[in-house]
Amino acid sequence: MKKKIFTRFAACAALAFACFTMLSTTAQAQSPKLTDPEIASVAVTANQVDIDNAKLAEKKSKNADVIEFAKLMATDHQSVIDKAVALVTKLGVTPKDNVLSKKLNADAAKTRKSLSEKKGAAFDKAYIDNEVAYHKAVIGVVENVLITQAQNAELKDLLVKVMPTFRAHLAHAEMVQSNYGKHGKKMGGM
Amino acid sequence: MLKWYNQTTENMAKRWVECSTILLLCCTVALFAKCNDVPDKTKQQLAPVPPAYQVYTVEIKGMKFVPDTITVKKGDEVVFVNRDMVAHCVTEEKSKAWTSGPLPEDSAYLLVAKESADYFCAIHKVMKGRIVVK
Repeated sequence: MKKKIFTRFAACAALAFACFTMLSTTAQAQSPKLTDPEIASVAVTANQVDIDNAKLAEKKSKNADVIEFAKLMATDHQSVIDKAVALVTKLGVTPKDNVLSKKLNADAAKTRKSLSEKKGAAFDKAYIDNEVAYHKAVIGVVENVLITQAQNAELKDLLVKVMPTFRAHLAHAEMVQSNYGKHGKKMGGM
Repeated sequence: MLKWYNQTTENMAKRWVECSTILLLCCTVALFAKCNDVPDKTKQQLAPVPPAYQVYTVEIKGMKFVPDTITVKKGDEVVFVNRDMVAHCVTEEKSKAWTSGPLPEDSAYLLVAKESADYFCAIHKVMKGRIVVK
């Protein structure tokens, strides 16, 4: 039993590490330097992707915890977008598409396609697992790429201010994920 | 009684002196005691009058209650101010005895502390705090 848990843990850790490495390599290799309009675009896209996933979950899920979490993601990430839009408007910056924002959108399209094909408990599990992985990846990108490269002080401040929200979302997603296991619902294979 | 009426004038004078001396002594003692009382009374008047209640502030920022533990007296007021861009709330955790409802950015909730409580943000359930009423 212990061995099985350990194997599963090792598999999860390896997967998470792989995801993170992939995303950070993408960020470093494909966009070594982002301008402020590009950073603004990545920030808005990253939030919009999570809102779209949440809207899908609100439609497809019947699990109260998952629906509640999805509604929160839609609300909170919209608040972040509103702040970002207000700031770029004030600064006269027009968000500009770039390699990283396009990559985020392309990956999100694949994820949503895969989620759409799932139903019931399998959907809930896939959605929450993706939320955990996605928030980890976004936290990495905001911290290691966007904050370090932002030139405008107010843009940098906003990105710094957003970090605790993303971290709390990650903790919340992990809480829903672990409750899911405890209630003896199907966890499926990793 | 009769004896007293029969006393000589000299005896009466003596008695009068005795009485006066005792009375004078009593007055001196009383006055001295009163003088000693004065500094104590002054001290009492100078001591600060404790206010009826105190007002404390807990800021909600960076997805945390700051400070996350606060010790107050019964009847004190705690003002929760949301400094985050996302909406929060302050809700008693055990039985949802009280809640602020959703608090948008830069809005506040006033709580009169009645008893110790663990509270949390029911919107972001990982955010927790405690009020200790002494």
